[in-house]
Amino acid sequence: MIDLRWIGGHLGAIGDSLLQHVLLTVTAVGIGFAISLVLGLIAQRVRWTYGPIAATTGLLYTIPSLALFAFLVPFTGLSFLTAEIGLVSYTLLILIRNVVAGLDGVPPDVSEAAVAMGLTSRQRLVRVELPLATPVIVAGIRIATVTTIGLVTVTGIIGQGGLGQQIFLGLQLAFPTRIYVGVVGSILLAFLADVGLLAIQRRLTPWTQAGGR
Amino acid sequence: MSVTSDPADPPAPPTSSGGAATVAFEHVTKVYGRARKDTPGAVDDLSLSVPAGKICILVGPSGCGKTTSLKMVNRLIEPTSGRILIDGVDAATRDVTELRRGIGYVIQSTGLFPHQTIGQNVAVVPRLLGWSAARQTERTEELLGLVGLDPARYRDRYPSQLSGGERQRVGVARALAADPPVMLMDEPFGAVDPIVRDRLQNEFLRLQAELAKTILFVTHDIDEAIKMGDLVAVMQVGGKLAQFGTPAEILAAPASNFVARFVGADRGLKRLSLFRVGDLTPARPVMARPGDDVEEIRRNLADDPIGYLLVVDEERRPIGWVDPIDLPATGPLARELATPMSPFLEPQTTLKDALSMLLGADVQAGIVIDPDQRVLGSVTVDAITEVMRTKGQRRGPRHDPAGPDESR
Amino acid sequence: MSACSPSNDALRRGPRRGAAESVSILESAVGWLSNPAHWQGTDGVPTRLLEHVELSALAVILAILIGLPLGLAIGHTGRGSIVVVSIANIGRAVPSVALIVAFLPILGLGFRTTLVALVLLAIPPIVTNAYAGIRTIDPDLVEAARSVGMNGRQVLSQVELPAALPIVVTGIRTSAVQVVATATLGAIVAGGGLGRYIVDGFALGDTPRIVAGAVLVAGLAILTELVFALIERLVVSPGLRAERDGARQDLGRSSSATTPA
Repeated sequence: MIDLRWIGGHLGAIGDSLLQHVLLTVTAVGIGFAISLVLGLIAQRVRWTYGPIAATTGLLYTIPSLALFAFLVPFTGLSFLTAEIGLVSYTLLILIRNVVAGLDGVPPDVSEAAVAMGLTSRQRLVRVELPLATPVIVAGIRIATVTTIGLVTVTGIIGQGGLGQQIFLGLQLAFPTRIYVGVVGSILLAFLADVGLLAIQRRLTPWTQAGGR
Repeated sequence: MSVTSDPADPPAPPTSSGGAATVAFEHVTKVYGRARKDTPGAVDDLSLSVPAGKICILVGPSGCGKTTSLKMVNRLIEPTSGRILIDGVDAATRDVTELRRGIGYVIQSTGLFPHQTIGQNVAVVPRLLGWSAARQTERTEELLGLVGLDPARYRDRYPSQLSGGERQRVGVARALAADPPVMLMDEPFGAVDPIVRDRLQNEFLRLQAELAKTILFVTHDIDEAIKMGDLVAVMQVGGKLAQFGTPAEILAAPASNFVARFVGADRGLKRLSLFRVGDLTPARPVMARPGDDVEEIRRNLADDPIGYLLVVDEERRPIGWVDPIDLPATGPLARELATPMSPFLEPQTTLKDALSMLLGADVQAGIVIDPDQRVLGSVTVDAITEVMRTKGQRRGPRHDPAGPDESR
Repeated sequence: MSACSPSNDALRRGPRRGAAESVSILESAVGWLSNPAHWQGTDGVPTRLLEHVELSALAVILAILIGLPLGLAIGHTGRGSIVVVSIANIGRAVPSVALIVAFLPILGLGFRTTLVALVLLAIPPIVTNAYAGIRTIDPDLVEAARSVGMNGRQVLSQVELPAALPIVVTGIRTSAVQVVATATLGAIVAGGGLGRYIVDGFALGDTPRIVAGAVLVAGLAILTELVFALIERLVVSPGLRAERDGARQDLGRSSSATTPA
């Protein structure tokens, strides 16, 4: 049922879809992370803001993606921007929550020692708190990335989609091969991203690999 | 002392006795909220003065405000009223970050940065102060050596790979890194087992003998207070100072019932903690090496009050005791005759701990050794209890690591 | 009826609208919703709503029947935890669209395809939470129960299950919300449900229908979330609630795999 010749002959188009998929994902996670870092820091320091922030991002998360993209289309059209607004919104809940949890996870005696040694609050953030929060934050980025890869396929319905584009075209043209290309491709991409980010997480945190007593 | 110094480096403070500051509390009070003065952690009108280069212990039951008082020195907690003067300057008037970089801080859980190596941890404050990389490395190696950790082995490891005792040594090294004139220590040896704690205490006292820093030390353990302190401040719940004086004064003349109760009913026995093995003149047992002539040994033993032979090796390290009855008539001394029985005592070991060890091992005499494990002499249970009988309040020299007698 | 990419030029050209136009878009959606014609017949809101809820409920129930015993068994015996980890990882990585479309060649268009995909989607949160719920039970509690003379099954039903209940219910909640959201996508493979309005709307270029559909879908998802939050509160005994809130921090909803697609 899979037309391998078609695949062989259209590697360029498939590659383009893949590229678009990666582009959409990386942009969304990148922007989402930047926003989440700021909001997460605020939420962690100014505790009462955490409730409203979590509630808002949670609400966004609950809205089914198809609906969210559908909402946006009349305003921003069938564009990269529409896709990105939706995709970024979905990353916020996970990333903010992980930024806060990561910062909360810094052992209090380490923070106390850092204050007592005379590090300013910016120095503490950069040299102590963020490095220690890294494992949790990167775990959040991993989940957000894999999730986003999945959501990008949905944006096929608004003309973006990356590999999702192949799925929708396959459906439209009743051509199963394209569907498979899209399905298998997006699954593979998700797994690769997951494994790759796990390796990066391990590289960034050598002290967690060192055997403990 | 720095060989490689960058002209841009801040001026290097002398690496040994980098200067110690005086610390004075003047009517310091801390009240939490609108609470009464007796809330745990509060401090009520604390006034005391610590001379430079001395260890002042803050001791008392939980909630007596000792940790609060400590934390007011580096302003982790701000006093409600009163002043804390460091070398005559009110701490409140100084820039807080700069103040803290000049105060060493050691806590029970060490607070070592888990994500940095031991070397990086020790160099935190020097790095903040802008020292060059070369100087940081040099100082790190020096300090690790000072606290008894081989720099080559430890510098690149992570805190999670070290034992509790090793981590605490790193904590002390880190606090000493920028050679601060004041050190604050909050139950630093509380989280390790008693054997390790005793060793750490002894080593710390040896270190202090060289560096002579002004140290404020919090503990809830009166025995530790007596062993470690030049001055002891006993505090009671509500943050009041119950008594402030030398350990001998606290033991001999408790100022109130509270102090007497806190010190404990075994005050007499505790007085033994005021003295150390090094304060006594060690007895000289007859010593011999394996292979020495037995007949000569027997002659030496004839008048010896201890009556047992101590067998040592070429380096004068102890191997064991021999009962003269077990000696053969002639020939060279056989190593196998020696039985190791005695606990090893260091000059810093308090008489109280020494007596404990001797009674525990059920032997009459312990062997006093120097840092290289060589025999300095022996100390008997009788010699120790003799001290108890003596009324002398005078404390022997405490910080002399070499002991009273250099043998040979 | 499988067309699902937008074919309307006006939509494609869509620039950013101004505030006045935004209001008019919402108004048109409201207009669409208040039109009684849209509430009758096979394409009416009640019908679609029912389809959507039926599909979701069926998927969740099947997932519970499969996943709950599996998770509880692995958690209770402590063996095979690698299965749980794998399920969680796979569940997280597979995009929902891919899942829905994957069974197309085998099951064809329509209800069954979507159902199978939804069941597979719903299983991971239920399994991981059932497993975690049992694992985080204080071993002393289990030991106390055993020493009183309970056998394995009694320990499970009388001690472990009630104690694991809060976390298990959270898992079902996560699963249900995901399913309701993803069921929307079923419309892509010619299934029914509220997603129909969005997909058809794109095909026909009928903006009010798209927005109205989106409102309905979002509303249903949020409602599901709230209903289950209520169920959680009612079902969990107050004594356990405080503990659970603490444990929730750790598991959170990150134990759930995918987002609503």
